[in-house]
Amino acid sequence: MKVSRRDLLIGTAGVTAGVFFTPVPWKLLGDVSIWTQNWPWIPQPPHGPVETKQTACTLCAASCGLRVRMAEGWPVGISGVSTNPVTKGALCPLGFAAHQLNWHPRRLREVRHHGYTASWTEAQSAFEKACAEGPVAIVDGRPGRAASSVLKAFAARHKTSYRVALSSESRALTPYAIWGGVPVASLGYDLESTRTIVSFGAPLLDGWGTPGRFTRLWSERAAGSSDPQLRLIQIEPTLSRTAARAWRWYAPREGSEGTLASAVALVLLQEHLVSTQVPIPQVTLTDAAAQTGLSVESIRELAHMMVERRPVLAIAPDINPSVAALNVLLGAVGKPGGVVLRNRASASPVPFEADGGAYRAVLIDSTVPWEFVPQTNAEVFRFATWDGGGSKADWLLPSPGFLEELTDVPTAPTSAADTYNVAANLVAQSAGTISPAQFLTKIDSTLPDTEKAIHSRCEEIFKTKLGAVYADQPTPVKEFESAQKMEDQLRKGAVWVGEAPRAGSFHCTLKQWPATTPTALASDWAETWAAPVFPPLAAKLYQESTLREAPARRQA
Amino acid sequence: MRRNLLVFLLGFGIALIAGWAVFPRALYVRHSQPLDFFHKTHAEKSGLAQCDSCHVIGSDGQYSGIPRTEVCAGCHSDKLGTSADEAVLVDSYVKPSKQTPWLVYSRQPANVWFSHAIHTRRAGLACTECHGHYGETDQTRIYEQNRISGYSRDIWGHSISRLRRAPGDGMKMTDCESCHRRHKVEVGCLGCHQ
Amino acid sequence: MIARYGMVIDLDRCTGCGACMIACAAENNVPPEPPRATPRTGITPMLVRALSNGRDGADRREAFIPITCMQCENETPCVAVCPQQAVEVDKSTGIVMQIPQRCLGCRYCMTACPYHARYFNWWDPQWPPGMEKSLNPGVSVRMRGVVEKCNLCHTRFHGAEEKAAVAGRKEIDPADYIPACVEACPTGAILFGNLADPNDPVTLAAHSPDSFRLLERIGTEPKIHYKTTQDWIRALADKNANHPTEAQHV
Repeated sequence: MKVSRRDLLIGTAGVTAGVFFTPVPWKLLGDVSIWTQNWPWIPQPPHGPVETKQTACTLCAASCGLRVRMAEGWPVGISGVSTNPVTKGALCPLGFAAHQLNWHPRRLREVRHHGYTASWTEAQSAFEKACAEGPVAIVDGRPGRAASSVLKAFAARHKTSYRVALSSESRALTPYAIWGGVPVASLGYDLESTRTIVSFGAPLLDGWGTPGRFTRLWSERAAGSSDPQLRLIQIEPTLSRTAARAWRWYAPREGSEGTLASAVALVLLQEHLVSTQVPIPQVTLTDAAAQTGLSVESIRELAHMMVERRPVLAIAPDINPSVAALNVLLGAVGKPGGVVLRNRASASPVPFEADGGAYRAVLIDSTVPWEFVPQTNAEVFRFATWDGGGSKADWLLPSPGFLEELTDVPTAPTSAADTYNVAANLVAQSAGTISPAQFLTKIDSTLPDTEKAIHSRCEEIFKTKLGAVYADQPTPVKEFESAQKMEDQLRKGAVWVGEAPRAGSFHCTLKQWPATTPTALASDWAETWAAPVFPPLAAKLYQESTLREAPARRQA
Repeated sequence: MRRNLLVFLLGFGIALIAGWAVFPRALYVRHSQPLDFFHKTHAEKSGLAQCDSCHVIGSDGQYSGIPRTEVCAGCHSDKLGTSADEAVLVDSYVKPSKQTPWLVYSRQPANVWFSHAIHTRRAGLACTECHGHYGETDQTRIYEQNRISGYSRDIWGHSISRLRRAPGDGMKMTDCESCHRRHKVEVGCLGCHQ
Repeated sequence: MIARYGMVIDLDRCTGCGACMIACAAENNVPPEPPRATPRTGITPMLVRALSNGRDGADRREAFIPITCMQCENETPCVAVCPQQAVEVDKSTGIVMQIPQRCLGCRYCMTACPYHARYFNWWDPQWPPGMEKSLNPGVSVRMRGVVEKCNLCHTRFHGAEEKAAVAGRKEIDPADYIPACVEACPTGAILFGNLADPNDPVTLAAHSPDSFRLLERIGTEPKIHYKTTQDWIRALADKNANHPTEAQHV
């Protein structure tokens, strides 16, 4: 039989007609449409039951408790710990997306020397050579950790200098440390007992101190009332977030906050509104009015308002001796509701800027904020987890990432009571990363072990029998059967809070009223975040909305 | 004319045969599980007689799915017997602490939320209603995957026409809906989607 | 159980920090948008906007207002216009349920929504390599070309339902169902609960004289209420929502 073209055409017609009586077109339609919705480059979320673990955040010194949801061994969600008495479940905005930070495009995964890839061995030799050749400084951004003891031990044994980079909140407390002869690391603010807070530009509701501590306190006692239990007076040139929510807002010219503090002190003394005896500020009200741009009446009004409801506490965002002197005058030093000395007195570490020394090399710990640029020609060995860009570092050394390192979190700088958190590592340390403590231990294996140092700290706390450990329920330390049981709870994310500070435990003496120094600008929310990069989702705040300004110096 | 008709019917017949016999086989690609697992043997030998001895619903309601390697390692931290499959489990997954890449027959798309806790505890459904009597056999079924959509054959059901199905064969949305209709349980879209 | 989940957001307590926005994006697997995304094209199921009273100097007042899907109850605009029935009001929770996988991307609902609370996926969702391991397991990733919006963290509601099923309860424990934004707010400005329960704190707050809703005059009966003691904010409530690229007063 000859197969003609007609046969083919009719045969094809038959096949086509028949196909519609088979599942083929209908199933293909359905399957292809499913296929178009599942492109391989669209990621799928992990499966699997979600486990919840608790730890502490290590991205800044605030020591927030974290509840981390884990699936398939990776963190998939972060929230605060509502039973944590310090943070009361709050976190900073960036903390909620911090679990994505370890995959940030700017994550450091290899050693870099002047921009070129290098090896850890080369870095180690270079550092050992530098130590042999001349003075070396080790800069710690968060003193008081177990890892800090390793850095300190290395410094002591190898004749290098251990220095610290103080945060702006710590710097704000230095005048009291000097005048009172106490370590700055033992000072804090008793916000919980005060009735009036006068903030000279400190962003109390937007990135100051521990998130949650003041925001919760303010929400409970100050928000939404024209006659609140806690009065917040914000003194700031522009209407910041804190100023917009404050009970009263005064706007002196930028940089004149110190003059205003001195002028207010003068009014308080002249009108006998306070009983403390201090040297008279060398300022006149007319001069102060001219410098601040506020009228003399406003300055008087502010002074009266400040002392209407006591105790009153003045807070500056950075070092400001005039504001500190004002606190002394207001009786806000060493008393409830004021600047207080916590129970744990520790030796005062030396800030890096203190010696202005010429170093051969500087080793900068990963806890030091990226904005810290040592003014030195030294060879800089910079440990960091993320590349902050534009760094002067000669060596960029990749540190373990977020939740990758077992470490501890000492008391936050502004805290009223001592606290201690153990930040357990919830994921394994990334390959190719070495922490500063591990790096120095490779050079000198006799250095203390970080984990043992954490264990000793827990034993120390246990022996004091002071304070309580807050897990789901608070347990006083003296009720624990052993230090190990207490440590186990801390390792699971509980927080130890020491006792409230004792009143009258420290005093400040002023020989003369401090000269007004130009005040540092208040830090904004971007600057208080110590990691140099933002979680990628933070772009929602400035790129995909107009809520905040894009951070100037950070390249997220 | 007759010849044309015959040719047409020939084409028609070829299409029917290709569509009904060849297509269902060609549409699916067959994969083996990483190792064979014998449910019946485990139930008899180790007293894990209930489904939920290993397929656990946690106290917070989450379903564990196919147990993680840690559960198997509870007994199989080292080789208990001489089977090649157990050797694969212990050497490739238990010792290196890796998860066995089981192919899940009933895996639904990411936007589907099915709660084992609600269906077994609140609705009182038995596991066999949807999963059949697989757990009472020593069979390790071949995993058949739809080449185009990527999903398991169990979702559409074994029968390409979806007629004459075994109970529990087929886990598409219409199957969920028909069971809900039978039991008069009304849920909104987000009751099953996420 | 017939519930009507809603919120009362205290604008005297909102500091405009943005924690709710980021917590929402993290919970709902919202991708970090490409550099060319703008406030108009980004995806922010919870979006905080700045408000001011328009004055300058010492008379200036500013506030912040978190905007999310208002969960409209009356003639819900987006439900009315969707050609795909991709959005519906859930009878048992009152949540306006958006199913992105059913959406065909016509964006009619975005036009219909008086609160500009709906967002379109202009691009394929992309994360830096490896970051997909950190996605929330309970929420599906949407593809390009579909609209999405706040579903009141329905995944967390699912979790609460499972807990209740295992505990033998028919009703969920309200403490188990807390949306991400509510949990994240550091001042506790967002109060969430069941408006159908007369004893729920959110119902009592919604009936307080300080509470108001946006665009009440158009009658959508939103379930997201706001609360403030400041009259200048309340005066803005019936004006049209401001253009997304402007941050200032309406």
